[in-house]
Amino acid sequence: MKSAKFDYDRAGTLGDALATLGNADGEFRVLGGGQSLGPMMNLRLAQPDRLIDLSKVAGLDGIDAAGATLRIGARVTHARIEDGGVPGETGAYMKFVATGISYRSVRNRGTIGGSLAHADPAADWPSALLALGGEVVIAGQDGERKMPFDGFQIGPFATGLGYDEILVAVELPQLADGAKWGYYKVNRKPGEFADAIGAVVMGDAPRAVCGATGSAPFRVDAIEQKLAGGSTELSIAEARDMISGHDPGFDDYELQIHAVALSRAVGRAFA
Amino acid sequence: MSEITVTINGETVTGNVEPRLSLADFVRDHRRLTGTHLGCEHGVCGACTVLMNGEPVRSCITFAVVADGTEITTIEGFDEDEPMTQLRKAFHENHALQCGYCTPGMLVAARDIVTRLPDADEARVRLELAGNLCRCTGYVGIVNAVLQVLEERRG
Amino acid sequence: MADGGTTDGRGIGARVLRKEDSRHLAGRGNFTGDIKRPGQVELAFVRSPVAHALIKSVTKPAGFEKSVFTVADMPGMLPMRAPSKLPGYKGADYPALADGKVRFVGEPVAVCVAATRAEAEDIAQAVAVDYEELLPVVDMLAAREPDAPVIHDGWDDNIVLETFTDDDFSKIADRATVVVKREYRMARQAMNPMEGKAVFVEWDDRVDQLMMWTSTQVPHLIRTGLAQFLGLEQRQVRVIAPDVGGGFGYKVVLQPEELCAAWLARHLRAPVRWIEDRREHLVSGANCREHHYHVTLHATPEGDILGLDCDVTVDAGAYSAYPFTNGLEGAMAHGNLPGPYKLDVYRCRTRTVSTNKPPLLPYRGVARPGVCYAMEMTIDALAREIGVEAHEIRARNMVEESEMPFMSIAKKHFDSGNYAKSVQMAVDMIGLDELRARQAAPMEDGRLLGVGMGSYVEQTAHGTSVFSSWGVAMVPGYEQATVRLTPDGGLELRIGVQSHGQGMETSMAQVAYEVLGIDPDNVTVTHGDTGLTPYSTGTYASRSMVMAGGATSRACKVLAERMEIIGAHLLQCERAEVSVRGGKVISGKGEVSFAEIGRVWYLNPDELPEDVDQGGVEVTMGYRPEPDSGAFTYATHACAVAVDADTGKVEVLDYVIVEDCGTMVNPMIVEGQTFGGATQGIGTALLEESGYDAAGNPLNSTFADYTMPGATNAPHYRIDHIESPSPFTEYGIKGMGEGGTIPTPAAIGNAINDALKSIGAEVSETPFTPRRVRAAIAAAKGEAA
Repeated sequence: MKSAKFDYDRAGTLGDALATLGNADGEFRVLGGGQSLGPMMNLRLAQPDRLIDLSKVAGLDGIDAAGATLRIGARVTHARIEDGGVPGETGAYMKFVATGISYRSVRNRGTIGGSLAHADPAADWPSALLALGGEVVIAGQDGERKMPFDGFQIGPFATGLGYDEILVAVELPQLADGAKWGYYKVNRKPGEFADAIGAVVMGDAPRAVCGATGSAPFRVDAIEQKLAGGSTELSIAEARDMISGHDPGFDDYELQIHAVALSRAVGRAFA
Repeated sequence: MSEITVTINGETVTGNVEPRLSLADFVRDHRRLTGTHLGCEHGVCGACTVLMNGEPVRSCITFAVVADGTEITTIEGFDEDEPMTQLRKAFHENHALQCGYCTPGMLVAARDIVTRLPDADEARVRLELAGNLCRCTGYVGIVNAVLQVLEERRG
Repeated sequence: MADGGTTDGRGIGARVLRKEDSRHLAGRGNFTGDIKRPGQVELAFVRSPVAHALIKSVTKPAGFEKSVFTVADMPGMLPMRAPSKLPGYKGADYPALADGKVRFVGEPVAVCVAATRAEAEDIAQAVAVDYEELLPVVDMLAAREPDAPVIHDGWDDNIVLETFTDDDFSKIADRATVVVKREYRMARQAMNPMEGKAVFVEWDDRVDQLMMWTSTQVPHLIRTGLAQFLGLEQRQVRVIAPDVGGGFGYKVVLQPEELCAAWLARHLRAPVRWIEDRREHLVSGANCREHHYHVTLHATPEGDILGLDCDVTVDAGAYSAYPFTNGLEGAMAHGNLPGPYKLDVYRCRTRTVSTNKPPLLPYRGVARPGVCYAMEMTIDALAREIGVEAHEIRARNMVEESEMPFMSIAKKHFDSGNYAKSVQMAVDMIGLDELRARQAAPMEDGRLLGVGMGSYVEQTAHGTSVFSSWGVAMVPGYEQATVRLTPDGGLELRIGVQSHGQGMETSMAQVAYEVLGIDPDNVTVTHGDTGLTPYSTGTYASRSMVMAGGATSRACKVLAERMEIIGAHLLQCERAEVSVRGGKVISGKGEVSFAEIGRVWYLNPDELPEDVDQGGVEVTMGYRPEPDSGAFTYATHACAVAVDADTGKVEVLDYVIVEDCGTMVNPMIVEGQTFGGATQGIGTALLEESGYDAAGNPLNSTFADYTMPGATNAPHYRIDHIESPSPFTEYGIKGMGEGGTIPTPAAIGNAINDALKSIGAEVSETPFTPRRVRAAIAAAKGEAA
């Protein structure tokens, strides 16, 4: 089980990396921590022509809480977030999520930006950050642009990133101290990809996300409205009703565990 | 081919490698440090766990080119290391290995637990070991060995 | 007369720490994949992506024509054959590379050779194979049907083997007023030793031998098979199993890749290495456990089980592996279903069927996890039906200690033990009364609490008479061991079995210590090398400790006698006055060290007595238990589980084991084997499944979708022992390596069904995944599943 051949660029600067991407002839992939791409390449499920390694590019691993929003560099690892690298209530939420991602030896390499750009529907950050709200910061050939998490992931392994763009950071709301949040993952074993995710964050307005679907995670407006109305509980039956209208192709069991995840996420938020 | 310079177990080595060569195959086949084992080659089983700049990583899904400029410690590089010495003794005393195939990766992961989480209890130890598969022992001896070393280190 | 060790705790019964550990802890083990030679080549296999098809053509990539080999390119490599003498058994060739037809996804079609594995995979990826797809047979029940596509040419159906035992159920009709019927499935799995198969081969011209290092449990059988299917003489083949990273049955057969690697090493005159990767293992090696059962128990309202009627189907996959055959599983199911129970009547039909899936191999426990699961789950169903505790039904129907030896209704000759005692001890250890009290109220977190158990009896170290009745080509006989005193008084012990985690380098040294009193640290145990060890059929059937341990004991005893002759002479006393003890020959007049004996025999034979045994201080002795019908280990496992009725997720809260493997040579190793086995059983019960779609495509081809038990899935086991020595074996030892896996699916399934009894739901198909548990709950509640 060995990767197919590829060319390798160790980008020195973001500009170099973008230039290489801009001139791509073939499948060029940006390498973050490589913890998702690596397995797919070993299995030859991914066979890119060229990898552009960002590990030597400066300026992508900052955590800046000085402004109104939190800015977290794309190359910040899950382990750093697990260890409390992100301050405040947003940091507490992210620490909780990070701790449940895969295993420590993967978290030491895997990055938040890589996870978002890879956009595996069963991964944690796409669901967790959609529930938090905020934006991804994208560097392109003509400078930076921002995209809200709403609409960033458009399907399984598909995002709004262009082929010649690089996700460089995320900008997240700074939750007030004591803000309510709940995250619940259904899986059979710690560290495994989720079978279902429920994520609820009571920021400026409640956001509730149903994740680990066959496609992109989605917000459940009926749950958000219920929470906005002051509810602090969500039964499984209610959750089933509320997500069944979204038609993500769930069979009954999948509908059930996603409803459980959402119900328990709400329960955790208001515990 | 890409040139890399890596410090492995304290020795700085330079080599030309294909970009697709994994760090695991680099240490095993190029450096002949065969204590690092391959169990799944897709980052789940943990047999290939080594330290990169002091932190455990999966060497099977880390390309050798990416390790350029880093310090790597494989199971062969811990002979003077106090927590590893404690763990080896505890693994022996607690029958924490049978076939020995998962053992090197298990020890590197265990070393991370006893150094990073000095207050870990049994539930936490099991959680932290969840990324290292052992097919032989049922984890009984491994968990007991890690708990024993945690206890020793707490004094 | 040798009385060996004193009582300082290094002989039989001692928790001696393992001699094997230090090399593995240092990362200095020596596994097959660690071997590297100048000029070596590596292999990658082109494997079928379809379950059933004719091969119309194989197109080799331009420039690599000489790097790709199909069966047509490998003259002299014969298809493997594993004959069986069982009546009605249908055999079929198992070609190492597909010959015109593929019969499962993952079947090797061609082999590619390159300097590195990555390059070999590049070539394999570029090989184009044109398949004409045929209708596949994926499900074992569908495979039985008369209109199913037939997998093997010349067969009129897919039934590999049918066995049938009838009985007269009218004898019990008036008393057996309770009839409980159930249907069960046990899923197909992959065994997943952490090291997969690995093989390194080179031709050694100096000795004109094919030298194969391979990750196997049975080096001598591999040699015999290689010679047979490559047309070599056996003296031309030497097989070495170095450190082997777990076996569990996966490594008791000759693998097609071994055969290909050997042919290539011979014909390319280059060292050849092939290391199975995990996807190959999960796809091509998804090869065990898959059974289906219809079980009917006939009982009295008080819980006396009078009759068992069972219809078993075994999914044998596409081929029959050498040498054990795919008939073994069904035959063993037939003989083991009644377990430790006394029955008046037993009817059983087994059908072993061929399907378009990888060939069935004997995984740890072989058939018995399936039969124990079917029987024990039905006993609990009976208990629920008549409203008594299931352990009471077990205890009242088990063969009693006073009846031993006892011939069971399935003709198993039980040797010793108190089966019901294991049940009672498990009931006490798990705290059944307290659990029942806790069940009266829901758990704090709303989950449902359940308690269940499973009992089994396991035939181990069964020998010639048993295997010959199974019709297998390979029948074990006397097991041999060689001991040799070294000139400085150490001991070399050579055994033909193979240790791959069982710690035999330690436990066999304990046996030597028991006889000779020699420090286990001064004993070198050599195993797994056909060039250095006596022929043995190898390590399987929980036989090694009984067989090789027995042979070691016998050989050491003869060696002791010979050393006594020399020692008596050196001590100037009569033979009757000396004995071997504590690593010395001792008399009232003094003592002689083994080193002194060694020095005299090897270097100063001028000091030897006239009557010295000319065989010297090297002895080979054979051993076979008498009778060789097997030593029967038994155990009861009990567990408590919590079922999350909303998600269907099951957590094992507590798990206790009471086992009896006769005399324990090293209780630490016994417990380690048992815990490991039970954890594999947890995988079977809750996690592991090699599923297929309707076209025969595997659904679980990586560890991302094949869930292995990890440290959080394994409970904190508690264990206790009963020691009932076997009257038939040396020291009363019984085999025990496999047993831990056997009752776990039953114990956990019973606990789940106990938790669900208030809902009226039952699970009946392993693994008991959240989806299946939810489906059972939904079905009982009349909801959508």
